[in-house]
Amino acid sequence: MSEWIAIGAMGVVAVGLPLVMMAMSAMLRPSVPEQGKSATYESGEVPTGTARVQFNIQYYMVALLFVVFDIETVLIFPWTVIYRSALEQGASLATILTPMLVFIGVLVVGLVWAWRNGAVKWVKSPQASRRKTERKDA
Amino acid sequence: MSATLQTTLPDTISGLLGLEGILGDVVGGLVGAFIIANIMLITTAIAGPWAKRKITAAFGDRIAVNRIGPFGLLVIIPDAVRLMSKELIVPEGVDRPAWDLAPMVIPFSALLGFAVIPMGSGIQLADPETGLAFAFAAASIASLGLVMSGYASNNKFSLIGALRAVAANIAYEIPLVITAASVVIFTGSLRMSEIVAVQAEPLLTIAGVSIPTWFAFVNPFAFVLFIIANLAEVGRNPFDIPEAPTEIVAGYQTEYSSIYFVLIYLGEFIHIFLGGAIAATLFLGGPAGPFLPGFVWFVIKIWAFFLFTQWARSAVPRLRVDQFLEVGWKGMLVLSFANLVLTAIIVGVIA
Repeated sequence: MSEWIAIGAMGVVAVGLPLVMMAMSAMLRPSVPEQGKSATYESGEVPTGTARVQFNIQYYMVALLFVVFDIETVLIFPWTVIYRSALEQGASLATILTPMLVFIGVLVVGLVWAWRNGAVKWVKSPQASRRKTERKDA
Repeated sequence: MSATLQTTLPDTISGLLGLEGILGDVVGGLVGAFIIANIMLITTAIAGPWAKRKITAAFGDRIAVNRIGPFGLLVIIPDAVRLMSKELIVPEGVDRPAWDLAPMVIPFSALLGFAVIPMGSGIQLADPETGLAFAFAAASIASLGLVMSGYASNNKFSLIGALRAVAANIAYEIPLVITAASVVIFTGSLRMSEIVAVQAEPLLTIAGVSIPTWFAFVNPFAFVLFIIANLAEVGRNPFDIPEAPTEIVAGYQTEYSSIYFVLIYLGEFIHIFLGGAIAATLFLGGPAGPFLPGFVWFVIKIWAFFLFTQWARSAVPRLRVDQFLEVGWKGMLVLSFANLVLTAIIVGVIA
């Protein structure tokens, strides 16, 4: 219990320190409001529209894969913790290792399937490919 | 393997103050957390304005800061004042609460991770049974801050930077954690102090010098995998695509100025040191080492990792974003699973 109080204390300090630094900065810094300053940076040009745009995330399938593998790592951890002590207490290698090999095997089959379906492939947007003019023959 | 539970820093402090019960826990925890946070702030203050410049300059055969104090060390003080006294420019159309919260979330996550790191000489804030999982969980909160900063900034470069940061995190988080799991097979515990204690046992003796079972020696392959995944996790070269100055200006931190920039920068540096600390705890025997006190060895190890990131920054070109994801999903993921399965089989056959 006391260790979680200590971690909570760390959380309090980790929020407090940035706040203190912000307060110190607020006392030190000048404020010179001018127009042009507050434009967002777009290589010196006047920004075209906002940044709340539809954006082609080529790796969104990867995010779905991540959910699967992340849950899987959570399931692997308890097994790694008991693995050695279970062996020392006389459990046979087959009973303790085989289920996890099967489990990881299923996931690897899933990864291979996703791989062959192009889930981890860099998807090029058809629009960008159409506009591309150089090296068309390649 | 008996659990050698050392007294943690809060216990020592509450013992010194003569406080008991919940009050002792709270006061000891707060004072201990304050001490550890300040250790990290000082480390970062040396690393950011001074060591980073000096190291980069040394690789480029330049001199860098050398005017104030020995080796220019005192440049840290004017630099800190300079950075804090910059004007805070709030760009048009930023998403206000999120934009202000992001610079707090990033250092918060990194500092929280340090709560469970054993720094040697009895400096460890907390030692929960799930320490290793907690360290990874706390370090992962940073991605949230990066997405907040990128999406709230109303800047296209920031948006791309934030999306890349998420892609980097999800691609390399799994290899990182799975490689750590292969170490847990040896230790049989997620408790940080036990992971360190297991590594104190001698592996073999060469000419009277006993070599401890640091997992970097036991399983160098896992160590290399972990360090590479770690570089990607903290977003350093060759995996610094979330910031990629030549492609997307500064990524998610493009629109931040003044103290907000300092806080994001600070969070990133503490993250590098947290990465180094987790690597040291898992693979390099934590704060263990000959002759010098534990804390000194801990500092040496995390600085070695920092030096390595700066070395990579100066020496290795950046990957392209699609190559970066390919290395993560097709290379590191497969290798880390191979490492886990092989480690389990070898440990099983030997035991």
